[in-house]
Amino acid sequence: MTISQGSAPEKTEVLYGLDNIINTNLQFLSKAHRIDSCGDDKAAPAIIEINAYKDLLFEIKSRGIKVRYITDITKYNIHYCKELMKFVDDTRHLDGIKSNFSVSETEYLDSITTVQKTQSTPHIIYSNVRDIVDQQKYVFESFWNKAIPAEQRIREIEEGIEPEFFEVIAEHKRTSQIFLDLTKSVKNEALFLFPNDKAMIRAYRLGVIDHLIKASQKQNSANIKIICPLSKENSDIVRKVSEQAPNIRILNGTDSLYGMYIIDGEKMFRVEMREPKAETFAEAIGFALYSNRKNTVESFRSIYELLWNERVLNEELKKTYKMQEEFIKMQQEFINIASHEMKTPTQAILAYSTLVERHPERRDEMIEAITRNAVRLQKLTEDILDVTRIESNTLKLKKEQFDLNEKIRNGTDDASHVLDDSDNAIKILFDLEPKKYVQGKQCTIIEADKVRIYQVIFNLLSNAIKFTNKVAGNSISIAAMNDGENNQVIVSVKDTGEGIDPEMLQKLFTKFATKSHTGTGLGLFISKSIIEAHGGRIWAENNKDGKGASFYFSLPLIKNPEQQSLERNHNSKSQ
Amino acid sequence: MKDNNNNKILLVDDEPDLTLAFKLGLEDNGFEVDTFNDPLIALSAFKHKSSSYALVLLDIKMPKMNGFELYNEMRQINDQIRFCFITAYQVQKEDMNAISLSDQKSFDIIRKPITIKEMVQRIKNQLS
Repeated sequence: MTISQGSAPEKTEVLYGLDNIINTNLQFLSKAHRIDSCGDDKAAPAIIEINAYKDLLFEIKSRGIKVRYITDITKYNIHYCKELMKFVDDTRHLDGIKSNFSVSETEYLDSITTVQKTQSTPHIIYSNVRDIVDQQKYVFESFWNKAIPAEQRIREIEEGIEPEFFEVIAEHKRTSQIFLDLTKSVKNEALFLFPNDKAMIRAYRLGVIDHLIKASQKQNSANIKIICPLSKENSDIVRKVSEQAPNIRILNGTDSLYGMYIIDGEKMFRVEMREPKAETFAEAIGFALYSNRKNTVESFRSIYELLWNERVLNEELKKTYKMQEEFIKMQQEFINIASHEMKTPTQAILAYSTLVERHPERRDEMIEAITRNAVRLQKLTEDILDVTRIESNTLKLKKEQFDLNEKIRNGTDDASHVLDDSDNAIKILFDLEPKKYVQGKQCTIIEADKVRIYQVIFNLLSNAIKFTNKVAGNSISIAAMNDGENNQVIVSVKDTGEGIDPEMLQKLFTKFATKSHTGTGLGLFISKSIIEAHGGRIWAENNKDGKGASFYFSLPLIKNPEQQSLERNHNSKSQ
Repeated sequence: MKDNNNNKILLVDDEPDLTLAFKLGLEDNGFEVDTFNDPLIALSAFKHKSSSYALVLLDIKMPKMNGFELYNEMRQINDQIRFCFITAYQVQKEDMNAISLSDQKSFDIIRKPITIKEMVQRIKNQLS
């Protein structure tokens, strides 16, 4: 046969016994220049431990044969693999490889049983059939491309690093198990992107959310962020999370085609949706991608951060927009109220000034009404001017020393005059000696703008009158208490009126806030600005007994006023 | 049955200074005027003698019940009576929603401040 001249005839045979195996191997080596070989996790120990096999390695070395070798390097066989690598040019690792064969340019050896200790008579399959050889070369190449360098694998084992993996999972039971295990393992950080509102509910049913809550409650609370489309359906879960783990931050998101979960910057899990709105996790999910590859995890993490920042920006924009809308609404309301407040007294003045001629018998009454309404206009004008001064920082204080109780007395007297005959039912009580009032007169001496402080006192009393039903038994009490410990005096105005609407309590001291039909909502805003300009504080609360409200303001006391006035006298004498 | 000689007006405004001024001004011009400062009391009074009035004059911004709400209540009691609103308040579109569309032509809105003379003229127009 001319075709096969110079080469052996094609054959495939099985050879039994160690001697035969060694001989076949030796013959195989004698004809080869390049060998591609692979073995399972038991191959390396067998080759190194059995002298006959080890001799083959020396044979390879002395013949200068180029060998590429693939095996499954584990922490149990790492020592043997390292030994083996001394004889082999290029070694790679492939997780769980089960093949044991070698292929040269022209021949193929299958040595599966040579390393299986259970086999009584070891045997080897030899073939030089071209198609078989080519097929095995192809098999080897595909293994080779999937394998990683042995050095990398050895480093991972020696440094205790978990080997890198990149897994595609089609089986939902495994996907849900991984999902659960991942959330259980959270130590420092969990970044969750739920693809839709239902996904959060499904995750909750799996127990994922509870693990996140636990991770957040630990002493070194993990940084947990969740982006999820929020709806009525998942609102209960969101509420539960924010109650039990307020550190978990949740932002509203938009629907997406997959969920993304990044744990501790080490692992990423990406789950595609098959039935996005399905009730159970098993029905909902499609393929899942699971990896700990550094680059993969990092890139998913930065995608997540981008998304998060975009969401944060979005929320802030929404907030600003809402605030702006509220501001515009409040300003419109103010213009409405202010114009109402301006037009009503103007109407009275306009009407009475023409009526007064025709009704001389009512002249005094009408002049009084004109004056009353002119004063009302004047008050409104002053309030608006005050607000302008406050907002342009030109509110000037003429400070002088005086007894706060004097101004309270003035305010109480004037407020009593405001109450007309029908208001006699309610009483304004001025407590000159409240419980904490211990040090005599001096302890209410302050240095402040008399006119402005009076304005605050009168404003608080007028408000109390306005919101207290004119029914017998109702009262308004005012008192100044020395709070020597904090070197301040606190004035309280307590009424037994209708109390403050909880909604109003939040914005009581802001501009234009009013529930009254005759008020601009400027009084408390002005009072707050006056008190704060004096270094004090103003606040309000509903009374604990459930009836009426109390307003307080504090002002700094003068340190030892007598001492100061003595010093002043002394100074003036010596001059 | 409409009585053409009827010149009785019901006036509701929470500002006592204004009810008195309007009452005197209208009486000077030949009207008879009942006034109320509390819309709820006005409503119960209206229930008893609604047919005695030719026109109801209502403020809009009032505590307890605003002028539009009062209007709706009064219309249910008697839909033959003419109405005028008299207000210092800037009427918003939303406010008008409180009133059914078919009703919106049956009243006039007078804006404060207004002279007595002008007010009398507007009321006479509404009654004619």
